[in-house]
Order: sequence, then structure tokens, then C-alpha cells
Amino acid sequence: MTADAQNDPAVRRAQEERLRAVWEAPKGWFFRWTDCNNNRVGNWYVLTAFAFMLFAGVLALIMRTQLAAPENDLVSASTFNQLFTLHGSMMMFLFAVPMFEAVSIILLPSLLGARDLPFPRLSAFGYWSFLIGGVFVAGSIFFNAAPDGGWFMYPPLTTRKDLSGLGADIWMLGLSFIEVSSVAAAVELIVGVLKCRPPGMRLNLMPLYAWYILVVAVMILFAFPPLIAGDVLFEMERLLDWPFFDAARGGDPLLWQHLFWIFGHPEVYIIFLPSIALFAMLVPTFARRHLLGYPWIVLAAVGTAFLSFGLWVHHMFATGLPKISLAFFSAASQAVVIPTGVQIFCFLATLWAGRVVWSTPLLYATGSLAIFVIGGLTGVMVAVVPFDWQAHDTYFVVAHLHYVLIGGTLLPLFAGLYYYWPLVTGKKLSDRLGRTAFWIMFVGANLTFFPMHFSGLMGMPRRVFTYPAELGIGGLNLASTAGAYLFAAGVALVVIDLALSPTRPKARRNPWEAGTLEWLTLPNSENWGTRSIPLIESRYPIWDQPGFVRNVDEGRYFLPDAEEGRRETIVTTVLDARPLQVVRLGTPSVKPMLTAVALGGVFILTTYHLYWLALLSGLATLALVLAWLWTGTAEIPEKPCKPIGHGLELPLYLSGPSSSGWWAMFITMMADATAFSGLVFGYYFYWTVHPAFPPSGAGLDGPGIAWPMVALGLTLASWAATVAAREVHARGRVALARMLLVAAPLASLGGLAAGLAGPWSTGLDPTLHVYPAIVWTLAIWTTAHNGIGAIMQVYTLARSLAGRMTPTHDADLRNITVFQHFLALTAIVTYLTIGWFPEVA
Amino acid sequence: MKRGLRDRVRALRVTLWTLIIPPTLWAAHFLFSYLWAAVRCAKLGSFADSPAAFAIGTVLALVLIALAGILAHIQSRIPGDPPPHESGTDVDRVRFLAKATLLLSGLSFAGVVFTAMPVLFLQDCR
Amino acid sequence: MYKYKVGARRVRRCEKGVMRRARRIFGAMAATLLIAGCNRHQSALAPFGAEAEQVRHLTLVLVVGSVVILVALAGLWVAAVRAPEGRLSHKGGMRLVLVLGALVPTLVLFALLLYALPMMRPRPVSRADLRITVTGEQFWWRVAYQPAGTPPVTAANEVRIPVGRTVAFQLKASDVIHSFWIPGLAGKMDMIPGRTNELVVRADVPGRYRGACTEFCGLSHARMALDVVAMEPAAFDRWLALQRRPAAPAPARGQALFAENGCAGCHTVRGTGALGTIGPDLTHFGSRLRVAAGTLPMETEAIARFIRKPDDAKPGARMPAFPHLPPDDARQIATYLQGLQ
Repeated sequence: MTADAQNDPAVRRAQEERLRAVWEAPKGWFFRWTDCNNNRVGNWYVLTAFAFMLFAGVLALIMRTQLAAPENDLVSASTFNQLFTLHGSMMMFLFAVPMFEAVSIILLPSLLGARDLPFPRLSAFGYWSFLIGGVFVAGSIFFNAAPDGGWFMYPPLTTRKDLSGLGADIWMLGLSFIEVSSVAAAVELIVGVLKCRPPGMRLNLMPLYAWYILVVAVMILFAFPPLIAGDVLFEMERLLDWPFFDAARGGDPLLWQHLFWIFGHPEVYIIFLPSIALFAMLVPTFARRHLLGYPWIVLAAVGTAFLSFGLWVHHMFATGLPKISLAFFSAASQAVVIPTGVQIFCFLATLWAGRVVWSTPLLYATGSLAIFVIGGLTGVMVAVVPFDWQAHDTYFVVAHLHYVLIGGTLLPLFAGLYYYWPLVTGKKLSDRLGRTAFWIMFVGANLTFFPMHFSGLMGMPRRVFTYPAELGIGGLNLASTAGAYLFAAGVALVVIDLALSPTRPKARRNPWEAGTLEWLTLPNSENWGTRSIPLIESRYPIWDQPGFVRNVDEGRYFLPDAEEGRRETIVTTVLDARPLQVVRLGTPSVKPMLTAVALGGVFILTTYHLYWLALLSGLATLALVLAWLWTGTAEIPEKPCKPIGHGLELPLYLSGPSSSGWWAMFITMMADATAFSGLVFGYYFYWTVHPAFPPSGAGLDGPGIAWPMVALGLTLASWAATVAAREVHARGRVALARMLLVAAPLASLGGLAAGLAGPWSTGLDPTLHVYPAIVWTLAIWTTAHNGIGAIMQVYTLARSLAGRMTPTHDADLRNITVFQHFLALTAIVTYLTIGWFPEVA
Repeated sequence: MKRGLRDRVRALRVTLWTLIIPPTLWAAHFLFSYLWAAVRCAKLGSFADSPAAFAIGTVLALVLIALAGILAHIQSRIPGDPPPHESGTDVDRVRFLAKATLLLSGLSFAGVVFTAMPVLFLQDCR
Repeated sequence: MYKYKVGARRVRRCEKGVMRRARRIFGAMAATLLIAGCNRHQSALAPFGAEAEQVRHLTLVLVVGSVVILVALAGLWVAAVRAPEGRLSHKGGMRLVLVLGALVPTLVLFALLLYALPMMRPRPVSRADLRITVTGEQFWWRVAYQPAGTPPVTAANEVRIPVGRTVAFQLKASDVIHSFWIPGLAGKMDMIPGRTNELVVRADVPGRYRGACTEFCGLSHARMALDVVAMEPAAFDRWLALQRRPAAPAPARGQALFAENGCAGCHTVRGTGALGTIGPDLTHFGSRLRVAAGTLPMETEAIARFIRKPDDAKPGARMPAFPHLPPDDARQIATYLQGLQ
């Protein structure tokens, strides 16, 4: 196949037929939902998140109505508490984060000229998990069982069973489930950006959206796991009475606050940066020039990501920590403003230098920046500790955070909606309705939230279901309520605009005359993504590379065909996007959906204390995951290589650090290690708050040093056996590798038994005091990983025996070795902490 | 001699991992500051008896960040392709990563200075 | 509802005026000062203590700075959108980003940090200073005055402090997290089970004020307020001496009903047989400004209703309801309690 061959229209038509057949969406009332193509799944994802946003918005309207006048009694205190808890939780977990992931699932492949993301079935799994978990959490309000402890769920209010009901479990377990799907999406997006770029798209040519998504996905990897660790401790206390947050038994409510806000503050930037990423795409389009200061934007994204992890105590300024600790976080909170300022000035300079074409998306972008800047300025104010002591937990903060989130997430998303609607549907939205809606929302948002600055400083705490008339804030609250309805009217107008879209004619291709890759999409787009995978030589290839669009359309670049009837895309190197492999992608399957249902079952059944059914559901999850992996991954191709055009021939199979599967394992384990470090932080946190830790007394004797060291030795032996198996296997000594893969799981299971034997043999009672509880938790965490490691080793052995893994096709073995590296590290930290540290402390 | 050094610096490999060295140093210094004060306050009731540890840690962080910045600065001026250095060549890719690293060094440097300020104003654990 | 010296009507009139004005100059921070005139007993904008006064000053500085930045940025944005193509060269643009986007913000923020850090130093406190332990409970405040060298005096739901003297609040919680906020006096401080936090303050202007719980603590979080009275030191010392005494004997039927209905199981009335410590100390109940943690007026009817159905006024209150108690008996108990001056 040469470029000349593409001159023949008949050849091109035949290629298109084959591509169409390969990428055809499944049909039928049920099977259409088994699709995993990024367009389809992305659209479901966006619509679901949008629906959750509208639902949470209605909850807010009910709250605002209740607060319209002092001493109002529209809803009871109990209902009101459920309303604000669910409003905050849903907007964060069911709207902002999933929405960014959803938009990225739609946009990323076309931005990167890829046919799909590397793990389409994982996207589908993430979506179904999100839907099940979201409906479970949101639906609870119809049964008057919604969580009512605030979106931050501070114990002991939420862990004491006499003070909080099922709602707390629904929050913890339902949202943990969604956190798992968020981490899954993060893995998908990171691997997508790093490994699935088109040839020639070096790091310095990457669209800025991809840079931001990379940064944000990495942030998710480090921000969500501490919350998952907190969730684990929280549910252990609720379900098993392990006293992590019970001060009477050595626990400390502040540990939850640390773990929650280590998640919670980066979370703010996790949902803000993708919106800035949308600006970084649309500002150059409407300034008709390259974005000024590309490295500056990368600086800002990476810098914000780092600094945002040094801000968490900024939510705990009033908890009585030493002032010196608060001051460190105050300093970091000021420093994080710098990169934000840089981004705004990059956009400003670009508009200044370019020829501005005024448009609805740009109007939204401008308006949201105005609102965001006000929120940012009040953000600097609350970063100043003495001011925050007044403003904290009052309506001032409600005003601040809504300015930030409306200006930094919601309105930018509407900007993105008006900008990218033609990309998704081929049609433009109405400029008139869009601009009217913008002004209604802009006035509404300011009328709602500006007066709250005053009601807060005038003594109105947050999360109150009513307030006395004597505070003199009735007028301010009435204004806020009026503004909320105005804002809702604006949102309704946008919804009407969307609903009218099917009646409108198709727009032309690339209606905004943008320069970036995603605008190759045709108004009647095909499922296959890009016609051929282009060679990139510029940041704005449509503007800068002559004949670019025609060459792509006529299949003159790479991989214009699907000869073997397989879904394929190109894997490239991380830095310079040199082509490495043609990877075969997952096809529609019912397994991701079933896995999501089974895993959802584990969380939901546990909520209702149906432990045996939950265990069954867990086993079903395991079986489904194994079946999914067995049939769908590391498949040995029918031939080693295939040509992709222009004389290039790429392998169809890769293993180790250059493959996408290895990266997915590595990234997942980074998240796992972060969650683990949250638990370790817990152990040493308790050490700092107790004068004597470990404490002494009956039932409080530590696990000793012998058993932990045996467990450590066995776990390291299992690790060594796996590494050795990988090495000898690669040298063709399959039999020896298989023997090692028999020994490794045995050592791992031995490590499991010995790890639990320590605390078991000394009779540590985890309900007595927090020390036994945290020791047991660390031991269980590590030994559970021993168990998972053993399953992986047996799986790999089975792959080898079944002929699905050979010395040249050893991705499975290389991937489980990554797991073993992390397990070894986990075991070293755990057993030194619980076995050795008490000896030296 | 000097020229040789510069060329050797320019030949250093630049990757995504080197890009995050300066902010990682900031993070390490931040964590060190926080843990130093928090653990000493919790266990001893005071933290400022021996500020030497803190001063050394801060100076070390600043020096390392400055060093990373200087290396990045040299690398960001590798001659080769014409300005504005936005094309898909080896040199421009290196220059981009080096420039971003340089900017991150600046931010991290300011971040460390910000983090060090509280110790000048607050001396007890209240 | 208990009314402060500022009458409710004046509050309402003032509010309307402010809203009219605020709407006209919407966005202008000048409204701060106008609104501060409305509510002078629970507002960070109307300080009566040294700490709150300092923060009010800081607030003004921050607000003025923010407005300047906002206006400058808006002006630049408009200029940028209107500028013809190429008005700004690539080099000029990069200089703009470097100077206005990076250097200026860094310097401004650094200056702000240096300006604000010294304000974090808490007021020095000596052994001789008055300590007041306040413990947050669902949904009321347990208060114990501990003047140096004398045994503590227990009270509830009201804090009185001498002006001009340093007072150290020791803040605790018994059940869940609460937060102690008297906006006119100082910033807030959380009350966390298992921990004791200290808040050192100095009131400067005598008067009656109000505080509130600011950490969400359950159903009646909104109904957990606190009356605060700042007094001249001499008056305060006299008042504390009175509080120290046991309750005066009251041979009323109310006291018998109080005992019969088991109120003493939870409440203490010093000088009688009532020694319960689960609920608020009622020894000098009648001397307080309001009932049920700043929620109800000190009136017989309100107290009687609260005794029979505490949930009506405070959902989720820990006090058991006495719905079968004849209303007249409840009134008798209320009268007895009001007599405990």
C-alpha cells in the first residue's frame, strides 16, 4: 500500500466499507448498550452527568426557597440536611468530575487523531459504574434515606449510629464505587495521552487540552485514593465498630478531615483545570492565532497540580492546629494563585495579539472568567488565616466556592457546549438563545451569590435550615433566592436550545475554522474516528500543514484500512510519538456492564449489611474480571507485524514498559500505593496525637516482631519468584518459569497467613482502641494484596499452560511483576511499621 | 572548558520526569516543613528550638531548585531550529521541555520562599 | 423572639434601604459599611473585640485590593478583545505574561503574606487571666468560668466576659464537632471531641451580643446560638460572685413538679437535690437572656412549651419530651425556673 494507491476512489471506498463494518455499533434494544465506542459511551456519560447536575440544581432551588425568609418552614430540618448534603455531593462526584471525564472520552481520541482510547471497555465499565452508583446515591432522597452529614461527612456525627442512619453508608459506599470508576477513567486518559498520540505529535505539539487532561488525571490518581483510604476507615468504624474517629477509644475525628481534604482541595483544581483546558482550545480559535506562551500554560497546569496538594489544611484553619502549621498552608494557598494568574494572562495576551472573532463560546468564556476572578480574589482572602477564622463555614465561603465553581466549571462547560456541539452533532446551537441564556445566568449567579458575602460576614453560618429575623439578613437572602430562580431560568433556556437542536440543519465542517485536529470530524461523523491517522508537524495542523484535511480524508496518512476486520489504533512513544505498535482495541461486549453490576452489588449489598450476598457479588466480580481479561487482553496476534502505510511496518504485540497495558498497571498501582500511604499516614498520625503509642493494656499488645518479619520474608520471596519467572521465561525456559509461578503464589498465600497471624496470635482487639484497629487495617490491606497477587500469579500460570503466553508474548507476566514490585514495597512499609516501629518508638 | 560543560549539560536527557523535579523538590520541602513543625509540636510542644534543621532544609531545596533551573536554562537555549521554536523537531521538543522546567523552577523557588516565611514570624506551637 | 436594643422594625427598615442602595451600586464594596449598620450584635463587620477589629481592618484592605485588581483585569480584557490584530507582538505578549501574569502577582502575594502572618500570633495569656471552658453539646453550650485560684462556676448557653481583660476560652466538645463563633469578638474555633482548643480574646465595647455554632452538628445546628454579654470588669466580678451562690430557696409548687417529673436526672440546680449533669445547669436559669441556646425568649409560655415538646423548637434536641405533662404543670415549672435568678 502506498500513497499512490489512495488515488483510486474505488480503493478508498472499499477501505471505508471495511472500516464501517469493523466499527459498526451493535444493534438491538439491549445490545446497543453493550457498545464501547468512545463517541457513544462519551455521549451517555455527558448526558447522565448533565441530568445529575439538573437534579442537584433542583435540590438547590428547594433550599433557596426555604431560606427566602427567616424562620421559614417549607421543609423540615431533616429534609434540608439531606438536600444540602446531596446537592454538594452530587455536584462534586456525579457532575463535575464525571463530566470532565465524559467530555475527555469524547474529545480525546479526535484531539489525538486516534480511532478510540486504548481501553474502550474500561470506559464502558466506568460509565456503568457511574450510572449505578449515581442512581443509588441520588435516589436515596426519595426514600428519605439520603446522606445528611454534609458532603464532607465529618465524624463523629456521621459515624455514630445513634446520630446518623443509612444515609452515611449510602454516601460512603455509593461514592466509593464512583471513585473507583473515576480512577479507572484516569488510567484510561493518562495512557491515552501518553501512548495513543498520532505519529509526530511530540510533547511540545500536544493540544493543550491533552496537557491539562494528563495533569488532571494524574491529580485524580493521587487525590482520590486518600479519600478511598478514609472511606475504608470510616466504614470499618460504622460496620465493625473499629474506633478510628472515636476520641473515647483513642481515635481522632481530625484524621478524617486530613484524609478528606487531601482529596478535597486538589478536587477543586481537578474540576477547574479541565475548564481552563476548554478555554485553551477555544481562545486561539477565536483569536485566529496560536496560543501565546505554550510552555507557560504547561507550567501553570503542572505547577497548580503540585501546589494544590499543599493546601488541604486551608479547610481546617479553625480546627486548632498549631498556627505554624496553618501558616505553611496559608503560604502555599497564596502561591497557588501565581500559576492561575499566568493562565489568565496567556489568554489575555493571545486575544490582544490576535484578531478577535466575537462568538457565543467566547462570550461564555469571558463571563465565566469574570466570575471566576471574583471567586479567586475571595479565595486569596480566605487563604489569609485571620480573615478565614471569620469567614470559614459561613455564607461568605458559600459565595466564594460558588463563584469559583460557576466561573471555573459550570459556565466554561457551557462555553465548551456551544463550542463543541457542532463536533458531536454536526449542528450549531442558537446564538440568540445562547447569548440570552448567558446574560440571564450571569445576572442570576451574581444576584444569588454576591449578597452571600455579606450575609456570611453578618453572622449567617453555613448549613442552617433557617435563621432568625433578628440577624437582619432576610433581604440579602431573598435576593439570593430570586437570583437562584433567575439562574435556573437561564439553565432551562440552554436545555431548550439543546432540545431544539434536532430540528436544525447540519452546519458545515469545522464551523469555527479552528486549527486543531478534532475539527477534522465531519458533520455526519463515522464511528471510526479519523479516516487515517495523520502525521503531525504543528500545534495547529489544520491551519499550518498544507493539504492536511484532504490527505486525512483520502486516507493518505497511516492505517487507512482494516484489512483483518479488527478495531485498531497506533501506539507511539511518550516523548516523541514515534510509532511503536498497532494495538487491537476492545469490541462491544456485555462483560464491562456485567462487571459494573456485580461490583455495584458488592457496595450496595454491603450498605444493607447483606454480607453473604455481597461476598457472592464479589466472587462474581472476580470471575467476570478474569473472564474479561482472559478473552480480551494480551491476545497473541495471527502475524507479528502489519504495514500501516508509507512503508512503515509495526508490530501487533508489545509487552513491558512500551506497551499500554504495562502503563495501565503501573498507573493503577500508583493510585493503590497512594491509598495505602493514606492508611500509613493514619498510623503515624495516631502516634503523634498519643503521648504513648502503641498504648499498653489487655488486648493492646502489638503483633510482635516475629510474625510480621515472616510475612515480609514470604512476600518478598513471592516477589523474587515472580521477577525470576519473568527473567527465565524471557530466555525461553518456560518450564522453570512455570515452576516459579507455582512457588510464587504459595509464598504469597503464606505471607497472607503470616501477616494475619501476627495480630491474631497476640489477641489484638480492634474494637478496644484505635491502635489495634489501625494495625489490623494495615495487616488486612497488605494481606489482601497478597491474595490478589496470588490470583494474578495463578492466572499467569494458566495463561502459559493454555498457550496464551509465550516467551515472546509475555505481557501478562510483565504486568503482574509491576504489581509485585508495589506489593513488595507495601509489605516492607507495613511490616516495618507494625512490627519494627513499636520496638524503636 | 566552560564550553565543554555547557555542551555536556545540553546533552542531558530531558523527559517528563525531569520536568517535575523542581515542583517535587517544592513538595518535599513543604512536607518536610509541615511534618517537622507538626511532629515537634505534638511530641515536644515546641518546634523552634533548633531552627538549623529547617534552615538547612530550606537552603538545600532552594539550591537544588536553582540548579535545576540553571540546567534547564542552558538546555532551553540549544541552538538549532529558527524561532518561534514551535515545530516538531528534536531541538524544539528539548527546548520546550527545558523552558517549562525553567518556569517550574521559578514557581517552585517562589513556593519554597513562601513556605519558609512563617518560621520568621511564628515561634511557638500555639 | 428576644429583641435587642436595635428594634426589629429598625432592622427591617435598614435592610430595605440597604438592599435598595446595594442594588443601585451592585458590586460596589461600599455596601459593606452600610450593611454593617443593620446588625450590630452578630456581625464580623461590627466588632466589639480587639481580634475582630483587627480582622475588620484586614478585610477592608483585602476588599480594596481585590476591587483594584478586578477592575484592572476587566479593563485589560476589554482592551485585548478590542485591539486590532498584531497590536501586541509575540515578544510583547510574552513580556506581558511574565510581568503582569507572573512577577507582579508573586510580589503582591508575597507582600500580603508578610502583612498577614504577624496577625496570626495569638494574644499572650498569663496564669492570672480568666479562663472559660465552653463545651459544645448537641445543641447547647456547657460553660465553666475558672478565675485564677478559685473553684469553677458552672453555667450554660450564655457567656459573660469583662471588657479590657484577656480571656482564654478553652473549647471542647462532648458528642460531635461544633464550632464557637462570636463574630463581633473574634474568629471562630472548632470544638472537637478529644481535643481542647484555646481561643484568646479581649472584648473592648460593653454590650449584648450573639454567637452561633458554625460547624454542622446535626438537626438543630441552626438553633445552636449563644448569648454574649461584655461587661465592665467590676460589674462582671459582682455578677460572677452571684453566679457562684447556690439557688435561692423557692417553696413553689414548680420545684416539686421539677423533682416529680425527674428533671433532676439531667439538670443541676445547686442548693437543691437536683444534681444531673447531662443537660444544662439551671442554677441561675432565670438570670439568662434566653432559653434553649439562644432560641426562645425568657417567657413562661415559651419555656412551658419547650418542656412539653422540645422538638418543636429544636428538632433532634436530646431533652426528652413531656407531652403528657399538663400544660399548667409545665407553666408552674417554667415559673419556678424563671425565679432562679
